[in-house]
Amino acid sequence: MSFELKSTHWPLLALALRSADTQRLMQDWQQRYGDAAGFFDQDALLLDFSALSDSEPALADLSALLALLRAAHLQPVAYRGGSAAVRQQAAAAGLARADDALDAVQALTASAASSAIEPTPTPAPERPAVGALLIDRPLRSGQQVYARGRDLIVTAMVNPGAEVVADGHIHIYAPLRGKAIAGACGDENACIFATCLEAELLSIAGTYRTSEVPLPPEVRSKAARVRLQRHNDAERLLIEAIA
Amino acid sequence: MSKIVVVTSGKGGVGKTTTSASFAAGLALKGFKTVVIDFDVGLRNLDLIMGCERRVVYDFINVIHQEANLNQALIKDKQCEGLYVLAASQTRDKDALSQEGVERVLNDLAGMGFDYIVCDSPAGIEAGALMAMHYADEALVVTNPEVSSVRDSDRILGMLSSKTRRAIEGREAIKEHLLITRYNPNRVQEGQMLSLQDIQDILRIPLIGVIPESETVLQASNQGLPAVHMQGTEVSEAYKDVIERFLGQERPLRFVDAQKPSLLKRLFGR
Repeated sequence: MSFELKSTHWPLLALALRSADTQRLMQDWQQRYGDAAGFFDQDALLLDFSALSDSEPALADLSALLALLRAAHLQPVAYRGGSAAVRQQAAAAGLARADDALDAVQALTASAASSAIEPTPTPAPERPAVGALLIDRPLRSGQQVYARGRDLIVTAMVNPGAEVVADGHIHIYAPLRGKAIAGACGDENACIFATCLEAELLSIAGTYRTSEVPLPPEVRSKAARVRLQRHNDAERLLIEAIA
Repeated sequence: MSKIVVVTSGKGGVGKTTTSASFAAGLALKGFKTVVIDFDVGLRNLDLIMGCERRVVYDFINVIHQEANLNQALIKDKQCEGLYVLAASQTRDKDALSQEGVERVLNDLAGMGFDYIVCDSPAGIEAGALMAMHYADEALVVTNPEVSSVRDSDRILGMLSSKTRRAIEGREAIKEHLLITRYNPNRVQEGQMLSLQDIQDILRIPLIGVIPESETVLQASNQGLPAVHMQGTEVSEAYKDVIERFLGQERPLRFVDAQKPSLLKRLFGR
């Protein structure tokens, strides 16, 4: 037999539409990602219509929206939810029906549905419930790992000049001496954990600290947790030793 | 079955060529038929260190481009039996190295019954260095006890485990050996150099040897003689230890402890 048909699972990004106003969506998209060339890397995308009204007529500019997403290096491959008209339109555009897709963003879309009258300008950062990315090999100078849309666990050392990036939390069960960037898509609740904290750079949701300012002795080379703390509207990284 | 060993470092001037020459000569002294290839196309040095620069007629690039055959290009070493040098071309650049060409030459050398093929890598992480490591079975990572050298070696180790043929084909990983050169125990003690512990803490690969900092190396290269032939010197002994460990023998580390200055030195300074 020259082939084998197997089932597989595949994490993909979901774009939850909070309004049927595709014109506005495209404007908001341009504003947020218009100049972020290279942000996406041919990631598969699910269009989630479940927050839209069940009696929605066909979307005015679906093909233009798809073209915009493709231009941003996303690959729309499936859709979920939506009125009969919208579903028919999506199927005609070549999208697969994915109503059974694992529901990591349900809570988000549900809350969006209740406030559908006032859509927020950008889709909030999402962390789908896929497993963490596990790396068992040392990361050496010049190497980079990005756990897109999930947590990152590294069981070996992260050396100076290496970079670990995750949209979720980062766990390093070895010396962390390179750069660690958690909450890369803006998740302010993301944390960085390391069993031996000697990082060159720590960043959570864009707030960072370099080793120019040495780590305090109570956490340097110790097991520690880094999180983002809001203090009088200012954000700073809080680094605590783990007992 | 011949074994391909790359001598690499990332950083320049740390002792790759010195090590390639002494390592290859040391293997030949142990009776192995060995060839050492200079991959530093355009900046050839190995032939100078090996003292055969006047005998280079055809080089590695000529063989790759099939302008000469291996028998014409291999230079027989005058010091030891069974050692051959394949010089780099001085007039070309790294683009002259084609992957297919390199593979063909390595296969031909294996067919000629060489036990060891030592590839002297150029500095950097570009085409020349990648080509030198691509087909390697084992790697000697040459590192000086200073931060920038350790960082560059770390980078090279990352490439050895991702960009080489063994890595790409998912075969057993390249066997990596850490060789520390220009080690000066007194300066380590004074905190001017990284210690063995500091280096291993970052690189975490098995240590195959430590070559002490010494004027012997400069004297040897000026004479066109691999340092391993400088009988009775610490450098020569240290390289011989490296060969023994490479061949599976146990040897205690030598020349790594600081020397107390003698009474006279303490009285009169250095």
